[in-house]
Amino acid sequence: MSNNIQLSYKEDLAILTFDREGSSANIFDRDTLDELSGHLDTIEAHSSLTGLMLRSAKEKIFIAGADISQFIQITDPQEVRDLARKGQETFARIGDLPFPSVAAIHGQALGGGCEIALACDYRLASPDKVTKIGLPEINLGILPAWGGSVRLPKLIGLPKALDIILAGKTVPAYPAWKRGMIDQLCPREHFERIARIWIGKGKARPKGDWKTSNALAKGLIASKVKPMLQKKTHGHYPAPFKALEVCLQAVSKPREAGFKLEQDALAELMQTDVCQNLVKIFFLQERAKKFKIDETEVPPVEKIAVIGAGVMGAGIAQWNATRGTSVILKDINAEQVNKGMASAGKILGAALKRRIFTKAEAQAAFDRITPATEDVSFKKVDLVIEAATENMDLKKKIFVGLDAQSGEDTLLATNTSALSISEIAETLSDPSRMIGIHYFNPVHKMQLVELVLGKQTSPTHAQRALSFIQKSGKLPVVVQDSPGFLVNRVLMPYLMEAGRMVEAGADVEKIDQCILNFGMPMGPLRLIDEVGIDVSHHVSNFFSSTFGERMPEVKGLQKLLEAGMLGRKSGKGFYLYSKDKKSSPRPNPDASSLIRTSGDKFTIDYETGVKESLVALMINEAAMCLEEGVVHAPEDVDFGMIFGTGFAPFRGGPMRYADTWGASNVVATLEHMEGVKISELLLTHAKDDTTFYPTKDAS
Amino acid sequence: MISKERLVIVDGVRTPFSRMGSKLATLGADELGRIATQALLSKTDLDPSLIDEVIFGCVGQPADAMNIGRVIALRAGIPEHVPAITVHRNCASGAEAITQAYEKMVAGRGDIFVVGGTESMSQYPLFFSYETAGKFAALAKAKTLSARLTAFSKFGFKDFFNPRIALKLGLTDPVCGLNMGETAELVGREAGISRKEQDAFAADSHLKALNARERLAEEITPAYVPPEFEKAMTEDNGPRTDSTPEKLAKLRPVFERDTGTVTAGNASQVTDGAVALLVMSEHKAQELGYDPLGILTGYAYAACDPKRMGLGPVYAINKAEQVTGLGLHDADLIEINEAFAAQVLGCVHAAGSKEFAREFLNRDSALGEIPMEKLNVNGGSIALGHPVGATGARLALTSLKELKRRDAKRAVVSACVGGGQGFALWLERSQP
Repeated sequence: MSNNIQLSYKEDLAILTFDREGSSANIFDRDTLDELSGHLDTIEAHSSLTGLMLRSAKEKIFIAGADISQFIQITDPQEVRDLARKGQETFARIGDLPFPSVAAIHGQALGGGCEIALACDYRLASPDKVTKIGLPEINLGILPAWGGSVRLPKLIGLPKALDIILAGKTVPAYPAWKRGMIDQLCPREHFERIARIWIGKGKARPKGDWKTSNALAKGLIASKVKPMLQKKTHGHYPAPFKALEVCLQAVSKPREAGFKLEQDALAELMQTDVCQNLVKIFFLQERAKKFKIDETEVPPVEKIAVIGAGVMGAGIAQWNATRGTSVILKDINAEQVNKGMASAGKILGAALKRRIFTKAEAQAAFDRITPATEDVSFKKVDLVIEAATENMDLKKKIFVGLDAQSGEDTLLATNTSALSISEIAETLSDPSRMIGIHYFNPVHKMQLVELVLGKQTSPTHAQRALSFIQKSGKLPVVVQDSPGFLVNRVLMPYLMEAGRMVEAGADVEKIDQCILNFGMPMGPLRLIDEVGIDVSHHVSNFFSSTFGERMPEVKGLQKLLEAGMLGRKSGKGFYLYSKDKKSSPRPNPDASSLIRTSGDKFTIDYETGVKESLVALMINEAAMCLEEGVVHAPEDVDFGMIFGTGFAPFRGGPMRYADTWGASNVVATLEHMEGVKISELLLTHAKDDTTFYPTKDAS
Repeated sequence: MISKERLVIVDGVRTPFSRMGSKLATLGADELGRIATQALLSKTDLDPSLIDEVIFGCVGQPADAMNIGRVIALRAGIPEHVPAITVHRNCASGAEAITQAYEKMVAGRGDIFVVGGTESMSQYPLFFSYETAGKFAALAKAKTLSARLTAFSKFGFKDFFNPRIALKLGLTDPVCGLNMGETAELVGREAGISRKEQDAFAADSHLKALNARERLAEEITPAYVPPEFEKAMTEDNGPRTDSTPEKLAKLRPVFERDTGTVTAGNASQVTDGAVALLVMSEHKAQELGYDPLGILTGYAYAACDPKRMGLGPVYAINKAEQVTGLGLHDADLIEINEAFAAQVLGCVHAAGSKEFAREFLNRDSALGEIPMEKLNVNGGSIALGHPVGATGARLALTSLKELKRRDAKRAVVSACVGGGQGFALWLERSQP
């Protein structure tokens, strides 16, 4: 029997304290559910109790949900149904006690943790920052199936409940209270006293919102929500649709009938590849949050300096300032710095509007940025991140200066997206403290950071940078110093090929559409426009000069550039952008005709030929990265591509998808294309009929 | 001075000075102070946890940043354990911050201080009168609808459209009843300073400030102004190229409309700005390896007739001479804050007058000559503006930097203070 929950009594109040042994989090695994069930036996048998309070002894977690690693291995539909029923029934016993129950939530109450709270008569929540309540199951390709899909719509009405369940939302205490998920906000020191007041009110009367649960309203809701889901998921994710169906039906049915619907839906969803892949991504994410390069204890990074106040520099400064780090933001003159301060200020302003920060928090973040134009000392700075223009000579010059201005232990990093870290490091007296920290644009939205190890980067310094990235809330992928690192390198052949297809007469919108259908968040040509034709052209030239013939330059980009079509920023690229943000971009016929080199009709089928070639190119380049040791494991590739480019998460990433598609099919597709050098690793897998991931991998 | 330990001024930074209602108007005094303090910390590369106390001068303390010294300290990233106070001696507040640091140092209350002054005169509030406030209180107390209506009916047009203007109230002496401008008229009148002389002095102040652009840039940190961030502000916007004696002559007197001589053109400008200085005991500076700008070698605050507060500097320089033995002839540079041209010229006149010395300073000889070529060499508050709480610290900073540039030895820095006071600081360039 596990010992994760303590049952204690205070006069006539029973208290269940969740305090998982040897962990800073509470989760529900089978044993814990059994333990809870045992405690409920005792409580039920107790005759003189008047109330029950649930609380957690952890600092940051109420209950973080189910033990995913344990439950994901269950795929047998009946076993899944049993598991759902076990949770449902155990939680239901709390609400069915003859006296009232109160969940006193401090810290995260997610998934099962939220569902057990919903099963109580009342819910209190501490207004602390760490307190968050939500049902994120959809993100794993499943639905809340321990009563959450049944209870939440009954408690707060369908529209508000669907907003949480279908988006897999987690909300802080105050909005949770506003939405009616919480009965009262209460400092945790007062939980017991306030819980008694709620217990004094007697059992909660069953709620139900007839205004939103009648047949007419449900029909209306379904007709509104379904197209929205379709638009968001492109039909690739079944879980939200399933959850919608369950919620709609269960809201006007008895509890047990609703539970049955949850069980069936869960059993069905857990069979899907989508669910399996999303869960794997979840674990990749957890891995990125925790892994270490070196075991030595490293001093924290508390003060950083960012050189270059462009979009990237300002973004890096803004992100880290909001995470409590002091930042010096330096550029060569006040106008440049002003631009940087403006973009940092604007991101903060937008976040304030969206209530991500309070006014005081936004101000404190802004205050942490010290602008600088003249030479300031970096002796007391823990980390300097250079984010100047991508020019080797300029960067070398900057680092020669930094070598003298910084302290002995100051980490020196560049945010270059392509240039060699090891070469820049040559300018330093101690190259072991040089590293690449490559953020993606826009910094506040992109979770991934490539941590690039130069030839001489020491493991201790690398670990310090890694731990800084992790603490700042970004997800690192460690890559070796090699042109383009991982993400941009894998992306580039795919983008360039899309450009060449347009040169050959392909339709811009159709190319992008087939890639959207594949599950990428944006088509390649639209992406080139977003990045900027000028930047894409620059990067494309860099790649052709680095990788030679196998990545020939896309001449069309040069032509677009000369015609002043810079992509989104100039309003014209492969698409035309109007100032009105609501209207979606239209294809730009001038761009296509300008770069078209072939008079022949483009005859390749989009859904098969075009899509497969483009995806195969990504896989091929990713395989080369693995082969060359840019990254060590297929997990790194998949993680980097999903979080760096939004590569179709339900497909599990390019390597996982290659395994599904079959290496020989990938090779066959590549062989049909001209001038492609096929990765040896990929060829081997095709020849031996093997996969990138070990087969039968159980993780 | 009593103690042998001397206070050194390591370095200083200020925001650009911005005319009321212009570029920096949207920033509160706390924000201005934070900008200067942060820039100071990064410039001096001081570990902020070493600071013993933060002392800021501010005259019109904003209602939303009480003990503004503490607000500035925390917002600038100075650790929570470092205490902070706000000091107020009207236009001497910025100087008071420096001398309090000295006094705390000799009393053994610390070695390292961040001091300065800040003022957002743009954000001086408008007040409801006491009577109107009473009506609001009655409205808040009313519980029933009829009581509320009754309370509401008490309000009249005057309650909302006749606010008390903090700026106007602050610039009026509540004891003698004169506005600061009126005290300047009195001083000018009694010393026989003509309108023409005042305008010529004002024009000269602008000219000197314009010529000093590059020199002043050395003490300025640019300000980046949210939420629009239109353009960085890198220099003072007070100095004007068109402030010629001819143009100034066209302005109407403000305080004595028909007969007066003091105009908006020959008075200091109402301005927003902040200054921050790092000061510490001489031995601490050595220990930390700083090469300070200069040393505070002595100072005095003196008081006089509130109606003639403009002559405060003469009294203070006299008193400082008694303490330090240093007289006007010892100074390579002299700063007399330009609250009003009439008042500065009145001081020059009084300092050179044996009669004045005998009657008011209790001495036989005149205080001394104030040569114009040593006076306010980089322009003064008429051109640069006078953010009242910050000016004292600005004068010290500007003259210390000038001593260094000239490789000169001593400066005396003074200002008149509303309420009938004056201050004088003796600063000395430290010998490297």
